[in-house]
Amino acid sequence: MSQSSGRIDDFGMDTISLAGPLPAKLLAVREAGFSQIMLSARDLVGHAEGVDAAVAAVRGSGLRVTGLQVLRDFEGLSGRLHDYKVDIAKTMLELCSAVGAKVLLVCSSTSTHATGEREAIARDLRKLAMLAVPRGIRVAYEALSWGRSIEKFPDAWEVVCRADMPNLGLGLDSFHIFATQTPLEDLDILDPARIFLVQLADFMWQEIRSVEERVATARHFRVFPGEGAHSQEVVQLVTRLHAQGYRGDYSFEVFNDDYQQMPPATVASRARRSANWLGEDILRRSVPLPGRMRLNARGAP
Amino acid sequence: MPESPLSREVAADAVNPLGLEGIEFIEYATSRPQALGQVLETVGFRPIARHRSREVLLYRQGEMNVVVNATASGSPQGTGPAETPAIAAIALRVHDAAAAYRRALELGAWAVPVQVEVMELNIPAIHGVGSSRIYFVDRHREFSIYDVDFTPIPTVDPKPPSLTGLRWFGIVQYIGNERMEDWSEFYASLFGFRALPDEERFGILPKGRVLASPGNGAARFYLQLIEPEPGILDIEGDESLQRIAFGTPDVPATVAALRARGVRFVDSESLRPDEHGALTQAQLGGVAFEFVRAAQI
Repeated sequence: MSQSSGRIDDFGMDTISLAGPLPAKLLAVREAGFSQIMLSARDLVGHAEGVDAAVAAVRGSGLRVTGLQVLRDFEGLSGRLHDYKVDIAKTMLELCSAVGAKVLLVCSSTSTHATGEREAIARDLRKLAMLAVPRGIRVAYEALSWGRSIEKFPDAWEVVCRADMPNLGLGLDSFHIFATQTPLEDLDILDPARIFLVQLADFMWQEIRSVEERVATARHFRVFPGEGAHSQEVVQLVTRLHAQGYRGDYSFEVFNDDYQQMPPATVASRARRSANWLGEDILRRSVPLPGRMRLNARGAP
Repeated sequence: MPESPLSREVAADAVNPLGLEGIEFIEYATSRPQALGQVLETVGFRPIARHRSREVLLYRQGEMNVVVNATASGSPQGTGPAETPAIAAIALRVHDAAAAYRRALELGAWAVPVQVEVMELNIPAIHGVGSSRIYFVDRHREFSIYDVDFTPIPTVDPKPPSLTGLRWFGIVQYIGNERMEDWSEFYASLFGFRALPDEERFGILPKGRVLASPGNGAARFYLQLIEPEPGILDIEGDESLQRIAFGTPDVPATVAALRARGVRFVDSESLRPDEHGALTQAQLGGVAFEFVRAAQI
Protein backbone atom coordinates (compact mmCIF):
# COMPACT_ATOMS: atom_id res chain seq x y z
CA MET A 1 0.00 0.00 0.00
CA SER A 2 1.37 3.36 -0.98
CA GLN A 3 -0.35 6.71 -0.85
CA SER A 4 -0.73 6.85 -4.60
CA SER A 5 -2.05 3.33 -4.95
CA GLY A 6 -4.78 3.45 -2.28
CA ARG A 7 -7.90 2.05 -3.86
CA ILE A 8 -6.05 0.22 -6.59
CA ASP A 9 -4.86 -2.34 -4.05
CA ASP A 10 -8.25 -4.05 -4.15
CA PHE A 11 -7.52 -5.08 -7.73
CA GLY A 12 -5.02 -7.40 -9.27
CA MET A 13 -4.22 -9.05 -12.57
CA ASP A 14 -4.36 -12.63 -13.70
CA THR A 15 -1.15 -13.86 -15.29
CA ILE A 16 -3.23 -15.44 -18.06
CA SER A 17 -4.03 -11.94 -19.36
CA LEU A 18 -0.39 -11.40 -20.27
CA ALA A 19 2.03 -12.84 -22.80
CA GLY A 20 5.57 -13.91 -22.02
CA PRO A 21 7.38 -15.79 -19.29
CA LEU A 22 6.47 -15.45 -15.61
CA PRO A 23 9.20 -12.95 -14.62
CA ALA A 24 8.10 -10.59 -17.40
CA LYS A 25 4.50 -10.86 -16.23
CA LEU A 26 5.41 -10.19 -12.61
CA LEU A 27 7.43 -7.18 -13.63
CA ALA A 28 4.69 -5.75 -15.85
CA VAL A 29 2.06 -6.15 -13.16
CA ARG A 30 4.21 -4.55 -10.50
CA GLU A 31 5.33 -1.71 -12.73
CA ALA A 32 1.72 -0.94 -13.61
CA GLY A 33 1.22 -0.28 -9.90
CA PHE A 34 -0.63 -3.41 -8.84
CA SER A 35 0.15 -5.06 -5.52
CA GLN A 36 -1.38 -8.49 -6.15
CA ILE A 37 -1.43 -11.16 -8.82
CA MET A 38 -3.60 -14.18 -9.58
CA LEU A 39 -1.33 -16.99 -10.71
CA SER A 40 -1.97 -19.71 -13.18
CA ALA A 41 -0.40 -23.05 -12.30
CA ARG A 42 0.77 -23.24 -15.90
CA ASP A 43 2.90 -20.12 -15.38
CA LEU A 44 4.65 -21.75 -12.44
CA VAL A 45 5.34 -25.18 -13.89
CA GLY A 46 6.25 -23.70 -17.29
CA HIS A 47 9.07 -21.57 -15.87
CA ALA A 48 12.23 -22.18 -17.87
CA GLU A 49 14.25 -22.95 -14.72
CA GLY A 50 11.60 -25.03 -13.04
CA VAL A 51 8.99 -24.63 -10.35
CA ASP A 52 11.38 -23.69 -7.56
CA ALA A 53 12.69 -20.79 -9.63
CA ALA A 54 9.10 -19.76 -10.40
CA VAL A 55 8.22 -19.81 -6.69
CA ALA A 56 11.30 -17.76 -5.89
CA ALA A 57 10.39 -15.27 -8.62
CA VAL A 58 6.89 -14.84 -7.21
CA ARG A 59 8.08 -14.55 -3.62
CA GLY A 60 10.73 -12.07 -4.66
CA SER A 61 8.34 -9.96 -6.72
CA GLY A 62 6.83 -8.15 -3.77
CA LEU A 63 3.38 -8.98 -5.14
CA ARG A 64 0.78 -10.63 -2.94
CA VAL A 65 -0.66 -13.79 -4.44
CA THR A 66 -4.41 -13.44 -4.87
CA GLY A 67 -4.80 -17.14 -5.57
CA LEU A 68 -3.89 -20.00 -7.87
CA GLN A 69 -5.91 -21.28 -10.79
CA VAL A 70 -7.29 -23.57 -11.90
CA LEU A 71 -8.39 -27.04 -10.90
CA ARG A 72 -10.71 -28.36 -13.61
CA ASP A 73 -13.21 -31.18 -13.88
CA PHE A 74 -12.70 -32.26 -10.28
CA GLU A 75 -16.15 -33.00 -8.94
CA GLY A 76 -18.67 -35.71 -9.73
CA LEU A 77 -16.24 -38.40 -10.84
CA SER A 78 -15.99 -41.86 -9.37
CA GLY A 79 -13.57 -44.74 -8.99
CA ARG A 80 -10.25 -44.40 -10.74
CA LEU A 81 -11.09 -41.01 -12.27
CA HIS A 82 -11.92 -39.59 -8.87
CA ASP A 83 -8.70 -40.91 -7.34
CA TYR A 84 -6.74 -39.44 -10.24
CA LYS A 85 -8.32 -36.03 -9.77
CA VAL A 86 -7.69 -36.11 -6.02
CA ASP A 87 -4.02 -36.60 -6.83
CA ILE A 88 -4.09 -33.62 -9.20
CA ALA A 89 -5.83 -31.55 -6.54
CA LYS A 90 -3.16 -32.42 -3.98
CA THR A 91 -0.46 -31.30 -6.39
CA MET A 92 -2.29 -27.99 -6.93
CA LEU A 93 -2.62 -27.51 -3.17
CA GLU A 94 1.08 -28.17 -2.72
CA LEU A 95 1.75 -25.57 -5.39
CA CYS A 96 -0.50 -23.13 -3.50
CA SER A 97 1.53 -23.70 -0.34
CA ALA A 98 4.82 -23.27 -2.15
CA VAL A 99 3.87 -19.97 -3.71
CA GLY A 100 1.88 -18.60 -0.77
CA ALA A 101 -1.53 -18.71 -2.46
CA LYS A 102 -4.34 -18.77 0.09
CA VAL A 103 -7.07 -19.43 -2.46
CA LEU A 104 -7.35 -22.27 -4.97
CA LEU A 105 -9.80 -21.63 -7.78
CA VAL A 106 -11.84 -24.61 -8.94
CA CYS A 107 -14.19 -24.34 -11.87
CA SER A 108 -17.27 -26.45 -12.37
CA SER A 109 -16.82 -29.66 -14.28
CA THR A 110 -17.32 -29.95 -18.00
CA SER A 111 -16.56 -33.66 -18.03
CA THR A 112 -19.05 -36.00 -19.66
CA HIS A 113 -17.84 -38.62 -17.18
CA ALA A 114 -19.03 -36.54 -14.23
CA THR A 115 -22.39 -36.94 -12.59
CA GLY A 116 -24.64 -33.94 -12.22
CA GLU A 117 -25.96 -35.22 -8.93
CA ARG A 118 -25.71 -32.36 -6.47
CA GLU A 119 -25.10 -34.60 -3.50
CA ALA A 120 -22.05 -36.16 -5.17
CA ILE A 121 -20.71 -32.78 -6.30
CA ALA A 122 -21.07 -31.39 -2.78
CA ARG A 123 -19.35 -34.43 -1.28
CA ASP A 124 -16.37 -34.08 -3.62
CA LEU A 125 -16.04 -30.35 -3.00
CA ARG A 126 -16.18 -31.00 0.73
CA LYS A 127 -13.38 -33.50 0.38
CA LEU A 128 -11.31 -31.03 -1.61
CA ALA A 129 -11.83 -28.35 1.03
CA MET A 130 -10.86 -30.84 3.74
CA LEU A 131 -7.61 -31.53 1.87
CA ALA A 132 -7.01 -27.78 1.92
CA VAL A 133 -7.60 -27.32 5.68
CA PRO A 134 -4.17 -28.36 7.02
CA ARG A 135 -2.52 -26.06 4.48
CA GLY A 136 -4.69 -23.09 5.35
CA ILE A 137 -6.03 -22.75 1.83
CA ARG A 138 -9.53 -21.73 0.87
CA VAL A 139 -11.28 -23.29 -2.09
CA ALA A 140 -13.24 -20.98 -4.40
CA TYR A 141 -15.74 -22.84 -6.58
CA GLU A 142 -16.67 -21.09 -9.80
CA ALA A 143 -19.58 -21.79 -12.12
CA LEU A 144 -18.13 -22.08 -15.61
CA SER A 145 -20.73 -20.87 -18.10
CA TRP A 146 -20.25 -24.06 -20.09
CA GLY A 147 -20.10 -26.33 -17.07
CA ARG A 148 -21.89 -29.61 -17.57
CA SER A 149 -24.38 -29.27 -14.75
CA ILE A 150 -23.23 -26.19 -12.82
CA GLU A 151 -23.07 -23.14 -15.10
CA LYS A 152 -24.51 -20.32 -12.99
CA PHE A 153 -23.36 -19.03 -9.64
CA PRO A 154 -26.69 -19.70 -7.85
CA ASP A 155 -26.18 -23.38 -8.66
CA ALA A 156 -22.57 -23.25 -7.50
CA TRP A 157 -23.76 -21.57 -4.32
CA GLU A 158 -26.29 -24.32 -3.72
CA VAL A 159 -23.64 -27.05 -3.77
CA VAL A 160 -21.26 -24.92 -1.69
CA CYS A 161 -24.00 -24.60 0.95
CA ARG A 162 -24.71 -28.30 0.73
CA ALA A 163 -21.03 -29.17 1.16
CA ASP A 164 -20.96 -26.97 4.29
CA MET A 165 -17.21 -26.53 4.77
CA PRO A 166 -15.96 -23.26 6.25
CA ASN A 167 -13.07 -23.01 3.79
CA LEU A 168 -15.22 -23.69 0.73
CA GLY A 169 -16.80 -20.68 -0.93
CA LEU A 170 -17.50 -19.11 -4.29
CA GLY A 171 -15.33 -17.67 -6.99
CA LEU A 172 -17.37 -15.24 -9.07
CA ASP A 173 -16.46 -14.35 -12.64
CA SER A 174 -18.29 -11.48 -14.30
CA PHE A 175 -17.73 -13.02 -17.71
CA HIS A 176 -19.70 -16.15 -16.87
CA ILE A 177 -22.41 -14.15 -15.14
CA PHE A 178 -22.91 -11.93 -18.20
CA ALA A 179 -22.58 -14.80 -20.65
CA THR A 180 -25.35 -16.77 -18.96
CA GLN A 181 -27.37 -13.59 -18.36
CA THR A 182 -27.71 -14.51 -14.72
CA PRO A 183 -29.71 -11.73 -13.00
CA LEU A 184 -27.51 -9.68 -10.70
CA GLU A 185 -30.35 -9.68 -8.16
CA ASP A 186 -29.40 -13.31 -7.57
CA LEU A 187 -26.28 -12.04 -5.79
CA ASP A 188 -28.55 -11.26 -2.86
CA ILE A 189 -28.70 -14.93 -1.88
CA LEU A 190 -24.94 -15.07 -1.30
CA ASP A 191 -23.15 -14.72 2.01
CA PRO A 192 -20.41 -12.17 1.22
CA ALA A 193 -18.07 -13.87 3.70
CA ARG A 194 -18.18 -16.95 1.50
CA ILE A 195 -17.18 -15.16 -1.69
CA PHE A 196 -13.45 -15.87 -1.78
CA LEU A 197 -12.58 -14.19 -5.07
CA VAL A 198 -14.18 -12.07 -7.78
CA GLN A 199 -12.70 -12.14 -11.26
CA LEU A 200 -13.65 -9.36 -13.61
CA ALA A 201 -13.72 -9.30 -17.41
CA ASP A 202 -16.05 -8.07 -20.09
CA PHE A 203 -16.50 -8.84 -23.78
CA MET A 204 -17.30 -6.77 -26.86
CA TRP A 205 -20.73 -7.98 -27.90
CA GLN A 206 -24.07 -7.82 -26.14
CA GLU A 207 -25.16 -11.39 -26.22
CA ILE A 208 -23.71 -14.85 -26.58
CA ARG A 209 -26.15 -17.27 -28.10
CA SER A 210 -24.62 -20.72 -28.00
CA VAL A 211 -22.44 -22.64 -25.61
CA GLU A 212 -19.80 -22.94 -28.34
CA GLU A 213 -19.77 -19.19 -28.67
CA ARG A 214 -19.41 -18.86 -24.90
CA VAL A 215 -16.31 -21.00 -24.91
CA ALA A 216 -14.78 -19.16 -27.87
CA THR A 217 -15.54 -15.74 -26.41
CA ALA A 218 -14.31 -16.70 -22.95
CA ARG A 219 -11.02 -18.04 -24.22
CA HIS A 220 -10.13 -15.45 -26.86
CA PHE A 221 -12.18 -12.26 -26.80
CA ARG A 222 -12.42 -11.02 -23.25
CA VAL A 223 -11.52 -7.40 -22.48
CA PHE A 224 -10.88 -5.42 -19.33
CA PRO A 225 -13.86 -3.88 -17.51
CA GLY A 226 -14.66 -0.55 -19.12
CA GLU A 227 -13.56 -1.75 -22.55
CA GLY A 228 -16.53 -3.96 -23.34
CA ALA A 229 -20.27 -3.93 -23.88
CA HIS A 230 -21.33 -4.48 -20.26
CA SER A 231 -19.79 -1.58 -18.36
CA GLN A 232 -23.08 -0.81 -16.66
CA GLU A 233 -23.39 -4.40 -15.50
CA VAL A 234 -19.80 -4.40 -14.21
CA VAL A 235 -20.62 -1.28 -12.21
CA GLN A 236 -23.75 -2.90 -10.84
CA LEU A 237 -21.87 -6.06 -9.98
CA VAL A 238 -19.15 -4.41 -7.93
CA THR A 239 -21.49 -1.92 -6.24
CA ARG A 240 -23.92 -4.68 -5.32
CA LEU A 241 -21.12 -6.83 -3.93
CA HIS A 242 -19.81 -3.87 -1.98
CA ALA A 243 -23.25 -3.06 -0.58
CA GLN A 244 -23.60 -6.66 0.51
CA GLY A 245 -20.33 -6.44 2.40
CA TYR A 246 -17.80 -8.04 0.06
CA ARG A 247 -14.34 -6.63 0.85
CA GLY A 248 -12.19 -9.29 -0.78
CA ASP A 249 -10.05 -9.19 -3.89
CA TYR A 250 -10.91 -8.41 -7.48
CA SER A 251 -8.75 -9.79 -10.23
CA PHE A 252 -8.85 -9.13 -13.96
CA GLU A 253 -9.08 -12.38 -15.84
CA VAL A 254 -8.88 -11.37 -19.46
CA PHE A 255 -8.26 -14.12 -21.99
CA ASN A 256 -7.65 -12.21 -25.22
CA ASP A 257 -5.71 -13.26 -28.31
CA ASP A 258 -4.77 -9.68 -29.15
CA TYR A 259 -3.32 -9.14 -25.68
CA GLN A 260 -1.26 -12.27 -26.19
CA GLN A 261 0.69 -10.48 -28.92
CA MET A 262 1.16 -7.19 -27.15
CA PRO A 263 3.96 -6.27 -24.73
CA PRO A 264 2.90 -7.18 -21.17
CA ALA A 265 3.51 -3.59 -20.04
CA THR A 266 0.97 -2.29 -22.56
CA VAL A 267 -1.66 -4.79 -21.47
CA ALA A 268 -0.95 -4.13 -17.80
CA SER A 269 -1.44 -0.41 -18.36
CA ARG A 270 -4.89 -1.15 -19.82
CA ALA A 271 -5.62 -3.17 -16.69
CA ARG A 272 -4.44 -0.26 -14.59
CA ARG A 273 -6.84 2.03 -16.43
CA SER A 274 -9.62 -0.37 -15.61
CA ALA A 275 -8.58 -0.51 -11.95
CA ASN A 276 -8.47 3.27 -11.76
CA TRP A 277 -11.97 3.52 -13.13
CA LEU A 278 -13.43 0.86 -10.84
CA GLY A 279 -11.41 1.79 -7.77
CA GLU A 280 -11.54 5.54 -7.86
CA ASP A 281 -14.77 6.34 -9.72
CA ILE A 282 -17.04 3.45 -8.88
CA LEU A 283 -16.14 1.44 -5.79
CA ARG A 284 -14.32 4.07 -3.73
CA ARG A 285 -13.66 1.79 -0.81
CA SER A 286 -12.29 3.55 2.21
CA VAL A 287 -8.53 3.27 2.41
CA PRO A 288 -6.91 2.15 5.67
CA LEU A 289 -5.92 4.79 8.16
CA PRO A 290 -2.28 5.86 7.85
CA GLY A 291 0.07 3.59 9.76
CA ARG A 292 -2.45 0.77 10.11
CA MET A 293 -1.88 -2.64 8.63
CA ARG A 294 -4.82 -4.41 7.08
CA LEU A 295 -5.81 -7.05 9.58
CA ASN A 296 -7.98 -8.96 7.20
CA ALA A 297 -5.95 -11.93 8.33
CA ARG A 298 -6.11 -14.12 5.31
CA GLY A 299 -5.51 -11.36 2.86
CA ALA A 300 -2.92 -9.51 4.88
CA PRO A 301 -0.59 -7.87 4.59
CA MET B 1 -14.59 -50.95 0.85
CA PRO B 2 -14.44 -54.45 2.37
CA GLU B 3 -16.70 -54.82 5.35
CA SER B 4 -14.97 -55.65 8.59
CA PRO B 5 -16.85 -57.87 11.04
CA LEU B 6 -18.06 -54.97 13.16
CA SER B 7 -18.28 -52.24 10.54
CA ARG B 8 -22.07 -52.18 10.58
CA GLU B 9 -22.19 -51.36 14.24
CA VAL B 10 -19.29 -48.92 14.10
CA ALA B 11 -20.69 -47.17 11.05
CA ALA B 12 -23.99 -46.80 12.86
CA ASP B 13 -22.27 -44.85 15.61
CA ALA B 14 -22.40 -41.31 14.23
CA VAL B 15 -21.18 -39.89 17.53
CA ASN B 16 -17.99 -41.93 17.52
CA PRO B 17 -17.37 -42.88 13.90
CA LEU B 18 -13.92 -44.38 14.48
CA GLY B 19 -14.63 -46.01 17.80
CA LEU B 20 -12.10 -43.59 19.30
CA GLU B 21 -10.86 -44.65 22.71
CA GLY B 22 -8.33 -42.04 23.67
CA ILE B 23 -4.63 -41.50 23.11
CA GLU B 24 -2.21 -44.38 22.65
CA PHE B 25 0.90 -42.22 22.63
CA ILE B 26 2.16 -38.73 21.97
CA GLU B 27 5.39 -38.31 20.06
CA TYR B 28 7.94 -35.55 20.36
CA ALA B 29 10.64 -34.92 17.79
CA THR B 30 13.91 -33.34 18.83
CA SER B 31 17.59 -33.50 18.09
CA ARG B 32 18.21 -33.41 21.86
CA PRO B 33 16.35 -36.51 23.05
CA GLN B 34 18.27 -36.83 26.31
CA ALA B 35 17.53 -33.26 27.34
CA LEU B 36 13.84 -33.79 26.65
CA GLY B 37 13.99 -37.14 28.46
CA GLN B 38 15.23 -35.38 31.58
CA VAL B 39 12.35 -32.92 31.38
CA LEU B 40 9.87 -35.77 30.96
CA GLU B 41 11.35 -37.56 33.97
CA THR B 42 10.79 -34.53 36.17
CA VAL B 43 7.06 -34.80 35.51
CA GLY B 44 6.99 -38.51 36.27
CA PHE B 45 7.77 -40.36 33.05
CA ARG B 46 10.30 -43.21 32.98
CA PRO B 47 12.23 -44.47 29.97
CA ILE B 48 11.19 -48.09 29.51
CA ALA B 49 12.16 -49.17 26.00
CA ARG B 50 14.29 -48.39 22.95
CA HIS B 51 13.27 -48.66 19.33
CA ARG B 52 14.89 -51.60 17.51
CA SER B 53 16.31 -49.61 14.62
CA ARG B 54 15.92 -45.91 15.25
CA GLU B 55 16.95 -43.38 17.83
CA VAL B 56 13.59 -43.49 19.53
CA LEU B 57 12.82 -43.91 23.23
CA LEU B 58 9.56 -44.87 24.90
CA TYR B 59 8.64 -43.16 28.17
CA ARG B 60 5.71 -44.18 30.32
CA GLN B 61 3.82 -43.38 33.47
CA GLY B 62 0.51 -44.98 34.35
CA GLU B 63 -1.51 -45.32 31.17
CA MET B 64 0.45 -42.64 29.30
CA ASN B 65 3.09 -43.33 26.66
CA VAL B 66 5.40 -40.68 25.24
CA VAL B 67 7.69 -41.42 22.31
CA VAL B 68 10.79 -39.29 21.87
CA ASN B 69 12.02 -39.44 18.32
CA ALA B 70 15.47 -38.17 17.36
CA THR B 71 15.58 -39.64 13.86
CA ALA B 72 15.02 -37.82 10.63
CA SER B 73 11.70 -39.42 9.76
CA GLY B 74 9.02 -36.81 9.48
CA SER B 75 11.50 -34.14 8.55
CA PRO B 76 12.56 -33.08 5.10
CA GLN B 77 15.07 -35.50 3.68
CA GLY B 78 18.56 -35.17 5.02
CA THR B 79 17.54 -32.95 7.89
CA GLY B 80 16.93 -34.13 11.40
CA PRO B 81 14.34 -32.82 13.80
CA ALA B 82 14.86 -29.36 15.24
CA GLU B 83 16.61 -28.84 18.53
CA THR B 84 13.51 -27.42 20.19
CA PRO B 85 11.25 -30.38 20.90
CA ALA B 86 7.97 -30.31 19.02
CA ILE B 87 4.90 -32.49 19.38
CA ALA B 88 5.25 -34.50 16.19
CA ALA B 89 2.36 -36.93 16.42
CA ILE B 90 -0.70 -38.05 18.30
CA ALA B 91 -1.58 -41.74 18.11
CA LEU B 92 -5.28 -42.39 18.51
CA ARG B 93 -6.74 -45.63 19.75
CA VAL B 94 -9.46 -46.64 17.35
CA HIS B 95 -11.64 -49.67 16.78
CA ASP B 96 -10.11 -50.59 13.41
CA ALA B 97 -7.00 -48.70 12.33
CA ALA B 98 -7.19 -49.67 8.66
CA ALA B 99 -10.85 -48.71 8.43
CA ALA B 100 -10.24 -45.44 10.27
CA TYR B 101 -7.39 -44.62 7.90
CA ARG B 102 -9.48 -45.40 4.81
CA ARG B 103 -12.39 -43.36 6.10
CA ALA B 104 -10.13 -40.38 6.82
CA LEU B 105 -8.67 -40.48 3.30
CA GLU B 106 -12.13 -40.79 1.84
CA LEU B 107 -13.12 -37.58 3.62
CA GLY B 108 -10.05 -35.64 2.50
CA ALA B 109 -7.14 -36.39 4.83
CA TRP B 110 -3.56 -36.57 3.50
CA ALA B 111 -1.94 -39.96 3.83
CA VAL B 112 1.55 -40.23 5.30
CA PRO B 113 3.63 -42.66 3.26
CA VAL B 114 5.00 -45.27 5.63
CA GLN B 115 8.61 -46.35 5.71
CA VAL B 116 8.60 -49.59 7.59
CA GLU B 117 11.80 -51.44 8.36
CA VAL B 118 11.98 -55.20 8.67
CA MET B 119 10.00 -56.54 11.62
CA GLU B 120 8.31 -53.23 12.29
CA LEU B 121 4.63 -52.46 12.52
CA ASN B 122 2.92 -50.52 9.82
CA ILE B 123 0.97 -47.88 11.69
CA PRO B 124 -1.28 -45.92 9.32
CA ALA B 125 -1.03 -42.16 9.65
CA ILE B 126 -2.45 -38.97 8.20
CA HIS B 127 -1.09 -35.44 8.25
CA GLY B 128 -2.27 -33.19 11.04
CA VAL B 129 -1.54 -29.57 11.84
CA GLY B 130 1.80 -28.16 10.70
CA SER B 131 4.26 -30.99 10.23
CA SER B 132 2.54 -33.24 12.80
CA ARG B 133 0.87 -36.59 12.17
CA ILE B 134 -2.08 -38.49 13.48
CA TYR B 135 -1.60 -42.25 13.86
CA PHE B 136 -4.34 -44.83 14.12
CA VAL B 137 -3.69 -47.72 16.49
CA ASP B 138 -6.03 -50.62 17.12
CA ARG B 139 -5.77 -53.92 19.00
CA HIS B 140 -4.28 -51.95 21.89
CA ARG B 141 -6.05 -54.26 24.29
CA GLU B 142 -4.79 -57.58 22.96
CA PHE B 143 -1.14 -56.70 22.61
CA SER B 144 1.16 -53.74 22.74
CA ILE B 145 2.55 -52.13 19.60
CA TYR B 146 5.69 -51.48 21.58
CA ASP B 147 6.38 -55.21 21.94
CA VAL B 148 7.13 -55.37 18.23
CA ASP B 149 9.11 -52.21 17.57
CA PHE B 150 10.78 -51.69 20.93
CA THR B 151 13.26 -53.53 23.13
CA PRO B 152 12.66 -53.14 26.87
CA ILE B 153 15.38 -51.43 28.85
CA PRO B 154 16.65 -54.14 31.23
CA THR B 155 15.88 -53.92 34.96
CA VAL B 156 13.38 -51.11 34.45
CA ASP B 157 9.79 -51.39 35.66
CA PRO B 158 7.82 -51.51 32.38
CA LYS B 159 4.72 -50.12 34.09
CA PRO B 160 5.77 -47.25 36.31
CA PRO B 161 2.83 -45.79 38.23
CA SER B 162 1.63 -42.31 37.40
CA LEU B 163 2.71 -39.47 39.63
CA THR B 164 -0.18 -38.17 41.75
CA GLY B 165 -2.70 -39.82 39.43
CA LEU B 166 -1.69 -37.97 36.25
CA ARG B 167 -3.44 -38.92 33.04
CA TRP B 168 -3.94 -37.50 29.55
CA PHE B 169 -6.25 -34.53 29.52
CA GLY B 170 -5.66 -32.97 26.14
CA ILE B 171 -3.52 -31.07 23.70
CA VAL B 172 -3.38 -27.37 22.96
CA GLN B 173 -3.15 -26.44 19.29
CA TYR B 174 -2.18 -22.98 18.09
CA ILE B 175 -4.00 -21.99 14.93
CA GLY B 176 -3.85 -19.07 12.50
CA ASN B 177 -6.23 -16.12 12.37
CA GLU B 178 -9.73 -17.03 11.25
CA ARG B 179 -8.91 -20.73 11.29
CA MET B 180 -11.21 -21.77 14.13
CA GLU B 181 -14.01 -23.05 11.92
CA ASP B 182 -11.62 -24.87 9.55
CA TRP B 183 -9.96 -26.85 12.31
CA SER B 184 -13.19 -27.47 14.19
CA GLU B 185 -14.66 -28.99 11.04
CA PHE B 186 -11.49 -31.03 10.43
CA TYR B 187 -11.67 -32.67 13.85
CA ALA B 188 -15.45 -33.01 13.81
CA SER B 189 -15.63 -34.57 10.39
CA LEU B 190 -12.62 -36.90 10.57
CA PHE B 191 -12.82 -37.96 14.23
CA GLY B 192 -16.16 -36.93 15.69
CA PHE B 193 -14.93 -34.16 18.01
CA ARG B 194 -17.52 -31.63 19.16
CA ALA B 195 -17.09 -28.10 20.50
CA LEU B 196 -17.90 -27.43 24.14
CA PRO B 197 -20.00 -24.41 25.05
CA ASP B 198 -17.87 -21.33 25.81
CA GLU B 199 -18.73 -21.41 29.51
CA GLU B 200 -17.33 -24.93 29.87
CA ARG B 201 -13.59 -24.56 30.40
CA PHE B 202 -10.87 -26.31 32.34
CA GLY B 203 -7.74 -25.23 34.13
CA ILE B 204 -6.39 -21.71 34.27
CA LEU B 205 -5.93 -21.02 30.54
CA PRO B 206 -9.45 -20.77 29.13
CA LYS B 207 -8.77 -19.14 25.75
CA GLY B 208 -10.02 -20.32 22.40
CA ARG B 209 -12.33 -23.22 21.72
CA VAL B 210 -12.30 -26.62 23.39
CA LEU B 211 -13.23 -29.70 21.37
CA ALA B 212 -14.13 -32.90 23.18
CA SER B 213 -13.29 -36.27 21.69
CA PRO B 214 -15.95 -38.92 21.42
CA GLY B 215 -15.79 -41.65 24.01
CA ASN B 216 -16.40 -41.45 27.73
CA GLY B 217 -14.40 -41.79 30.91
CA ALA B 218 -10.71 -42.44 30.37
CA ALA B 219 -11.19 -42.41 26.59
CA ARG B 220 -12.30 -38.78 26.53
CA PHE B 221 -9.71 -36.11 25.82
CA TYR B 222 -9.74 -32.53 24.64
CA LEU B 223 -8.23 -30.35 21.95
CA GLN B 224 -8.01 -26.67 22.69
CA LEU B 225 -7.70 -24.44 19.62
CA ILE B 226 -6.17 -21.04 20.24
CA GLU B 227 -5.98 -18.19 17.72
CA PRO B 228 -3.33 -15.46 17.84
CA GLU B 229 -4.04 -12.49 20.07
CA PRO B 230 -6.15 -9.85 18.29
CA GLY B 231 -3.96 -7.44 16.37
CA ILE B 232 -1.18 -9.94 15.86
CA LEU B 233 -0.47 -10.56 12.21
CA ASP B 234 -0.78 -14.09 11.01
CA ILE B 235 2.74 -15.37 10.57
CA GLU B 236 2.83 -18.11 8.01
CA GLY B 237 3.44 -21.60 9.25
CA ASP B 238 2.81 -20.85 12.90
CA GLU B 239 0.17 -23.53 13.40
CA SER B 240 1.31 -26.34 15.66
CA LEU B 241 0.56 -28.64 18.55
CA GLN B 242 1.73 -26.43 21.35
CA ARG B 243 1.59 -28.38 24.61
CA ILE B 244 0.21 -31.37 26.45
CA ALA B 245 -2.26 -30.98 29.29
CA PHE B 246 -2.39 -33.60 32.05
CA GLY B 247 -5.40 -34.26 34.22
CA THR B 248 -4.93 -34.62 37.96
CA PRO B 249 -7.49 -35.13 40.75
CA ASP B 250 -5.62 -32.67 42.98
CA VAL B 251 -3.69 -29.85 41.28
CA PRO B 252 -2.03 -28.43 44.44
CA ALA B 253 -0.80 -31.90 45.42
CA THR B 254 0.58 -32.43 41.92
CA VAL B 255 2.22 -29.01 41.91
CA ALA B 256 3.81 -29.68 45.32
CA ALA B 257 5.08 -33.10 44.22
CA LEU B 258 6.51 -31.72 41.01
CA ARG B 259 8.11 -28.73 42.72
CA ALA B 260 9.88 -31.19 44.98
CA ARG B 261 11.27 -32.79 41.80
CA GLY B 262 12.55 -29.46 40.55
CA VAL B 263 9.72 -28.49 38.19
CA ARG B 264 9.13 -24.75 38.01
CA PHE B 265 5.72 -23.24 37.39
CA VAL B 266 4.60 -20.00 35.89
CA ASP B 267 3.79 -17.96 38.97
CA SER B 268 2.92 -14.34 38.25
CA GLU B 269 0.20 -11.80 38.95
CA SER B 270 -1.85 -12.91 35.98
CA LEU B 271 -1.13 -16.62 35.98
CA ARG B 272 -0.29 -18.86 38.92
CA PRO B 273 -1.04 -22.38 40.07
CA ASP B 274 -4.34 -22.78 41.87
CA GLU B 275 -6.78 -25.61 42.53
CA HIS B 276 -8.03 -25.47 38.90
CA GLY B 277 -4.73 -25.78 37.12
CA ALA B 278 -1.10 -24.86 36.62
CA LEU B 279 1.39 -24.29 33.82
CA THR B 280 5.08 -25.19 33.91
CA GLN B 281 7.73 -22.77 32.76
CA ALA B 282 8.85 -23.53 29.24
CA GLN B 283 12.09 -25.46 28.91
CA LEU B 284 14.39 -26.35 26.03
CA GLY B 285 13.02 -23.47 24.01
CA GLY B 286 9.33 -24.23 24.34
CA VAL B 287 8.34 -27.40 26.17
CA ALA B 288 5.65 -26.60 28.73
CA PHE B 289 3.07 -28.80 30.41
CA GLU B 290 -0.33 -27.82 31.68
CA PHE B 291 -2.10 -29.45 34.60
CA VAL B 292 -5.85 -29.41 34.91
CA ARG B 293 -8.14 -30.59 37.69
CA ALA B 294 -9.97 -33.66 36.48
CA ALA B 295 -11.73 -36.41 38.37
CA GLN B 296 -9.92 -39.69 38.81
CA ILE B 297 -11.27 -42.39 36.54
